[in-house]
Amino acid sequence: MTAPGGELLADPAVSRAKFAREIADFRTVESEYRRRGILLLGAEFPTVSLAFAAAQIAPSPMVFGADLDFTNYDLLPPAVTLVNPFTREPYRARELPTDLPRLARVNGKPVRREEVDKLLAKHRGNIPKHLGMLRQRLLVWHDPDQVPFLCLPGVRAYHEHPEHSGDSWLLHRTSGAGRLATIIEHLYRFGVLTVRGYAFDVNIQIGPGPTKQPQAQAQVHLRGLQIVPGGE
Amino acid sequence: MKPEKLELTVVVNGTPTQLETPAQAELRSVVTRALAQTKNSGQPFENWELRDVNGQALDLGKKVGQINFASGSTLFLSLRAGVGG
Repeated sequence: MTAPGGELLADPAVSRAKFAREIADFRTVESEYRRRGILLLGAEFPTVSLAFAAAQIAPSPMVFGADLDFTNYDLLPPAVTLVNPFTREPYRARELPTDLPRLARVNGKPVRREEVDKLLAKHRGNIPKHLGMLRQRLLVWHDPDQVPFLCLPGVRAYHEHPEHSGDSWLLHRTSGAGRLATIIEHLYRFGVLTVRGYAFDVNIQIGPGPTKQPQAQAQVHLRGLQIVPGGE
Repeated sequence: MKPEKLELTVVVNGTPTQLETPAQAELRSVVTRALAQTKNSGQPFENWELRDVNGQALDLGKKVGQINFASGSTLFLSLRAGVGG
């Protein structure tokens, strides 16, 4: 992948050296990442391939994969694409296992994850709509067949988007916003920690059985993952 | 009996740094030292968040000894996500 216009803007030797530093830092604490379900599948300049599993629930599902492209790094921030962890095919919006939900506000105020947990416990898993919760998805798309992009400072698509032309990457470049570890933490926090369990559909039918006695039949289908936004 | 000092590894934006801290110290001081050791001085303190290996956010006002860290534990200090969307 190349920069807008197809150009190589940064010296590839510089980008390659910075890429190597990112990977070396990851390797230093790779076992800790693995414990959290973050797996490095491959790292060959300019691409890092990762897989994210929800290690906090059992059995632990593989939630998604992510490819990060460090071409022109760090004159440009990395490009981030959510991919099928097995085929490495980019997800189209309609195929996404999660849209990286973020709970921005409750009662008009920013909330933290632990506050969300308290609200969930208080309201038995469903925060009432009247509390004014604002659910924001960090993956953005305009068409269900489109490959979504991660819309956060430090990610290439965010800074290339016309709506963010006033928030240049160069204002964030030295902040660490585009570092591998930072992007991993965002994907983990909004894509993995928001997975709370499995969601099932239960269909119960009650009617007369062969002996004309009432009989109940239940069908249970796994619908997918139970995903709850995690707060600020 | 809990140890008086603990060794922790703090991964600051992906860069690990090790430090020894008294159990009586607040986590806030752990963050300050970890940022100093990794030369991360460009961001306001409030832009950072500290999480344990299970992803739980840690209250920086708590003392190290109040949380059941084993010596040698790893913590993750990361930038908060900016406003996106």
